[in-house]
Amino acid sequence: MGSSRPIEISFDGLARVDGSARFGFGDATAALASVSGPIEVRLASELPSQATFDVSVRPLSNVPSTESKSQASSIRSALAPSLILNKNPRTLIQLVVQTLSPTPISGPKWTDGLLGAMINASTLALLNAGSVPMRGAVCAIAVGKAQGGELLVDPEEDRTDELVQGGCFAFMVADGARLGSNSTSVWTNWRTLKGGTFNETEIAEAREAARDAVKRVYAAMKSSFLPGGASDPDEEKMET
Amino acid sequence: MAYAAPIQPTAPTGLSSQENEALQASIFQRLHPRAYLERFLAEGFRPDGRTLEGWRDVSVNTGSISTADGSALVRLGNTTVVCGVKAEIAEPELDAGNRGFLVPNLDLPAMCSPRFKPGPPTDDAQVLSDRLNEALIASNILPLESLCIQPNKSVWVLYVDATCINYDGNAFDATLLAMVAALKNTRLPKTTYDELTKRTICSRKAERIPLDIKRTPVSASFGIFDSNRILSDPTAFEEPLLDTTLTVLLDNSTRELISVSQFGLGSASTDALGSCIQAAKKRWGESKDRIRL
Repeated sequence: MGSSRPIEISFDGLARVDGSARFGFGDATAALASVSGPIEVRLASELPSQATFDVSVRPLSNVPSTESKSQASSIRSALAPSLILNKNPRTLIQLVVQTLSPTPISGPKWTDGLLGAMINASTLALLNAGSVPMRGAVCAIAVGKAQGGELLVDPEEDRTDELVQGGCFAFMVADGARLGSNSTSVWTNWRTLKGGTFNETEIAEAREAARDAVKRVYAAMKSSFLPGGASDPDEEKMET
Repeated sequence: MAYAAPIQPTAPTGLSSQENEALQASIFQRLHPRAYLERFLAEGFRPDGRTLEGWRDVSVNTGSISTADGSALVRLGNTTVVCGVKAEIAEPELDAGNRGFLVPNLDLPAMCSPRFKPGPPTDDAQVLSDRLNEALIASNILPLESLCIQPNKSVWVLYVDATCINYDGNAFDATLLAMVAALKNTRLPKTTYDELTKRTICSRKAERIPLDIKRTPVSASFGIFDSNRILSDPTAFEEPLLDTTLTVLLDNSTRELISVSQFGLGSASTDALGSCIQAAKKRWGESKDRIRL
């Protein structure tokens, strides 16, 4: 298993929103997310028993395309299980994610690392805002499998050409739940990249590798909220 | 549904007891959809009579649109999708001089369901189009190099346009099937690039050539209701009630996995992904002979 890139978290403190955060895997794959909510909702999108959760994604260059819409839909389905929306009915929780790394224009694209960074940035922004009750923190990481069978967790951008299979996994992590594992899978996409096939054991293997790697992401998130960025003494108690 | 002419606070008197019951059942369905579905699932069935693992009947009809280079019509239960392939000639990208273009798109117009309003494509249509594009790329159905006419000068662009004419849930499976069938049905004219005049010439008389289809992907979609019940091939009534969608993409001939995706919380009790993969293999295993793509 390859080692992952250093995680970079910062809270920029965007002035006009309730919460914002920046998350990066190294400096090559980063995203900035902002959360406003609960705020006023349009009558058309008002829901009587819960808050409306709206996500938009903005690419680094160009106007938002169908790909941005698809990424927004993915982020929404990954984060929705962690939010307790029925505490604030008839309001809007607006999440806007800005990607900070360029995506290649043509040819096969590996955007799973970026998707992972976007989901993580969104979780941090929601935690930073503190205005939406949450069940857990959704942490995501990309995993790829190289030609020789090597599993690369959070592969570097220049190694993505070697990958024959790849995908992003997102887990909702919550401490204190007395279960075998404190993370539940909330989002998965695993596919072949060079027209091959895969079997069930490979995806199960990749998912377990991702579940393991997500511990590091969660630990980084937790420590970023502590004053001075000190590491959490409760880290040892965290089990997955 | 029968309209009762006199406006009365009590049940309309013009209906038989059977019609009355049906009316009450459909009122219950409209007002409390979740409870309605829960009652059915408690008995092990779904509102349309299928079991939880049941699949709707599929029918595929190809070649019906004569003006398109390839076409297909797919009916998945009541969901009906018509797909046409049109080929155009274009210049390739600068850094991919020998690759053509495959541009899939799904349109969900207002006529297919009251969910969709007239106007620009809704989020659902855009998200589905993007997912279909990813599915076709991941399956490598058609090597884009086979669409090259003259490297760096002229390539084919295949516009695969699907329109849903009746939406009853699971548009993804129906549309993927339609797109794959339409691509298999596509015949392109014999083309040559003339160096002297710098033009691409298509022959009208010579026999058309089919596309170089490498693999036929097929998909199976599922939804999870209430965190523990896996429903296969959800209908338009069930879809808004499901928290999670799972899609498994398989190779039609070898039934090996091409892509697996799960959007939303997995099942609390079972390994949802594992059981869905098994169900997808079983589904396409048994009907492989019936559907000729």
